[in-house]
Amino acid sequence: MEAPADIGWRGYSLAERDWRWNRVRDHAARTGLDCVFVPLCVDGRNLHLSLEQARGTRSDCRYLTGLDNAAVILPTDGAQPIVISDQNSGNDWVREVRPVENSWGASMARALIDAGMERARIGVSGIRRGFYTHGRAFHGVINHTSYAEVLRRLPNARFENATEVVGHARYVKSAEQIACLQRGAAIAAAGIEKMIELARPGMDEGLLYANVMRRMLSLGSEYYPMAFYSGLHAAGRLPRFEDPAEGRTLQPNYRIANEVDAVFGGLIAQEQQPIFLGVIPDAWKPAIDLQRDMYYAALEQLIPGRPFADFMDTINGFGEKHGMKSQLLMHGRGYGDDGPLFTPQNRGARNRDLLIEKDCVFIVKPIAHSADGSFDTSWGGCVRVTEKGGEPLVKRTPGMVEIM
Amino acid sequence: MPWRTPPGAGATVHIWNGYSPAERDRRWNAVRENARRAGFDCVLVPLGDGIDARYMTQLRCSAMVLPSDGRAPIVIADRRSSNAWIPDPWQTGREWAEPMGEALLDLGMERARVGVSGLSGGTVTHCHSIDGVVNHTALAQVMAKVPNASFDDATDVIGLVRYVKSEEEISFIRESTQVASAGLDELIRLARPGVDAGVLYADVLAHILELRSEYTPPILTIGSIHDHTAEGCCNPPIGRRLQQGDLIINEISAIRGAQTTQVSQPILLGSVPETWQDIIALQREVYEAGWSMIKPGTTFGALCDLVNGLGGEHGIETALQLAGCGYGDDGPLYSAETRSDRTRDLAMAAGNVFTFQPIAMARDRKTQFSWGGPVLVTDIGCEPLFKREHGMVEIN
Repeated sequence: MEAPADIGWRGYSLAERDWRWNRVRDHAARTGLDCVFVPLCVDGRNLHLSLEQARGTRSDCRYLTGLDNAAVILPTDGAQPIVISDQNSGNDWVREVRPVENSWGASMARALIDAGMERARIGVSGIRRGFYTHGRAFHGVINHTSYAEVLRRLPNARFENATEVVGHARYVKSAEQIACLQRGAAIAAAGIEKMIELARPGMDEGLLYANVMRRMLSLGSEYYPMAFYSGLHAAGRLPRFEDPAEGRTLQPNYRIANEVDAVFGGLIAQEQQPIFLGVIPDAWKPAIDLQRDMYYAALEQLIPGRPFADFMDTINGFGEKHGMKSQLLMHGRGYGDDGPLFTPQNRGARNRDLLIEKDCVFIVKPIAHSADGSFDTSWGGCVRVTEKGGEPLVKRTPGMVEIM
Repeated sequence: MPWRTPPGAGATVHIWNGYSPAERDRRWNAVRENARRAGFDCVLVPLGDGIDARYMTQLRCSAMVLPSDGRAPIVIADRRSSNAWIPDPWQTGREWAEPMGEALLDLGMERARVGVSGLSGGTVTHCHSIDGVVNHTALAQVMAKVPNASFDDATDVIGLVRYVKSEEEISFIRESTQVASAGLDELIRLARPGVDAGVLYADVLAHILELRSEYTPPILTIGSIHDHTAEGCCNPPIGRRLQQGDLIINEISAIRGAQTTQVSQPILLGSVPETWQDIIALQREVYEAGWSMIKPGTTFGALCDLVNGLGGEHGIETALQLAGCGYGDDGPLYSAETRSDRTRDLAMAAGNVFTFQPIAMARDRKTQFSWGGPVLVTDIGCEPLFKREHGMVEIN
């Protein structure tokens, strides 16, 4: 893979910007909104329910402007957006940004009034969880004090939830986005290779963590914490770390699970690879085989136009047909907290009627459980939906890696 | 009624949580005392104010109601998390507003004056977040659930406790400074013409992680010493190799014991031009004059006036650049662009720790030099924790 200095990518094109803005405008117009408003959102360090959710807090403004922190007013009628930011300058997409004067609340309210929205129907993105984005943030991601000030200053406007308006635009990826996700997936796979190279009994877990991160950063990924789990199988749920652990050393017969993420072009790719430091017990092999078969079955089922209900039922019922148990674990890939979200916790039931669409990208990592329930395993990676089904962004082989 | 772990709760995320129970009690009692003085019946650390929540609970994600009258708090956590400070928190999944509201009601706060931390940027915390950090929808639901209570900003109630560090905290600030300094050493060791700037960034950050810092991004601004348009990178830069004549301005941070510190020393791939010598010398003068003034009782206004008043000769200006060290977004905050008038009268106290990096710059502000790191306010003066030879590092 190219070293960072040799990467030619210099950012998304203006055509990509217009594609995004027009998709959002189109969704907003269909909903009858006069504009879409992305208000100031809480930063991810303070609103940190999970890695994904934290990265997702300001994802709508990044999607629409390429700026790390901004508020956006995008009129539905095609007029230019107004962008407010505390950053010193704009970028190629947004040459002019309005500074924050005294408070975000006052600045955002003034901008809405300048855009003629005193009595408008204003669609607010991020006010609560959505199907396609912010799915982990039940209460949304919006900053209280500034938003309350906007409501106070525009008493005659109607503010409505428009999380899906931006969310559905984000759901389907452009060719430029898919190329970035593809590079990210390849970088994450390189991070996994580094982990396999270094993971041995006696290895300091913190050093392992740091070196996997070094590998991905040195290929041009933005920093995104790896989720690292390790421990003996019999000891119950493995502890999860999102920073280098202190005082922990890998031991023989440790299981390692991980979520290895790389970020390129602002988009989060993820690959996942279970590892065992020893000889894989025979009792685990049926579940490992099941997981592999289920993953490939999932690829076949990811057909544009199908509702998720069929897909969920196929995966969740896959294990039972083989005398075991299975669960769908999967969600969207993008700027952060992308959906729809299917986890053992939420079972994805609210997503049954959503449709799979061409050029969606998901992390697909279904879980297989052994017949007696004493073992489970998950392997997965980024998958793009094509007319022919799911297509992995990077070629890897499902299974558990055995390190003697 | 306590909230119990919901079915299918996510995996517990283990984070560092090594402060003693005595430290917990010190923090809680000091917050209670500030809350009483401000007339609050309790302090609510709501969803969104994650930094204050970590300070008060050592949990990765939590919300808290701390009564001012000395009763035990109710803490809400997720993912089955608990620790020695909070052995039995209420547990939630993704729903936070309901348990926060119930916690207020359980503690008899139906008609109380509730102090909410993080509602606005504070005097010495949440300084970059002028509109605070609180989640709107969750707080609005809490306010609807407890309609007869009043909710007012209490950011400084916790902030002014965070402002003064205990001995336990100071020991970690020292460690944190050592790790940040080691990161700077690594940068100096590896920066050479021809090196891939992205790989350099990766190596510096990985070295800091190897020394068990929590993640905090180094900021590197790389460009020719004659080019004043370079922008800071907080991720690996793409498409750039270092060249002879590059200036690497840096802010290298580390986190140990949840305490963030930062050090900075510019690096030049070449020899320092004559035109920079006066600026560097004046910055040293300003730094030394400043730290000799830092002691309990000195106001930030007085320090600002001293530092900003030392420029003027030979077309060189000076500016105070200072930020608090701690759990994150600590203040007070001074830079060449912003100066915090609200903290002019705030007096320094023993146990304060600041990153002190005054700036000397040409009048057009294109040529700037800043150097420095954490300084600890002691009972009798100031102890610099950043101990390096002053100046710009030359790599030839």
